[in-house]
Amino acid sequence: MTLEFFRNTAYYRREFNTWQERYNRDAPKKGDQAPDFELKDVSGEHIARLSQYQGKMPVALVFGSFT
Amino acid sequence: MVYIREAHPVDGWWFGGGIVGKIMRRRYPNASIDTYDPTSFEERQGIAKQCEESLQYGIRTYVDDMDDTVSKAYAALPTRLYLIGLDGRVVYAGGLGPFGFSPTELGEAIEAYLDKQNATDVALHNELQSSSS
Repeated sequence: MTLEFFRNTAYYRREFNTWQERYNRDAPKKGDQAPDFELKDVSGEHIARLSQYQGKMPVALVFGSFT
Repeated sequence: MVYIREAHPVDGWWFGGGIVGKIMRRRYPNASIDTYDPTSFEERQGIAKQCEESLQYGIRTYVDDMDDTVSKAYAALPTRLYLIGLDGRVVYAGGLGPFGFSPTELGEAIEAYLDKQNATDVALHNELQSSSS
């Protein structure tokens, strides 16, 4: 492993931690109303709004990326 | 699946080089370690589509906008899990990723929630039965 890798890791880990601390303060906790949102799928043909499922079915949200 | 900003793009916190890259490729052969950070929503959609096809997780993938609006609302970066109940309230809020990311915990939360819903439905059914007789 190179010095550059460790330097990058230290830098980006700090960035990630700062980002998480900032946004986690207002992120919904257990019992909170989930923030509503509307998103397109990968094809652009389907649009889903979280609130459309209210009263119909529970929803599991899985957040992530390919990398 | 809500597709958000890349956690480890080539032009960011890249894990693809050297021995770390070799370990990542061996451990996660279907994940990508050669993806650049997308600069448009259409690019992000394209990468999300590749992810869906490669990992075959079996659920539809929705794509967050380039302002990371939903990711910020849920403090989701780099990865996170939530369960939202029928009433629109959070039943389970997973820990911050990556180390707080626990599919096992989510599974347990889903089972507990469904068990509770079933018990509520049965109790309501019995109450209705006894009130009508």
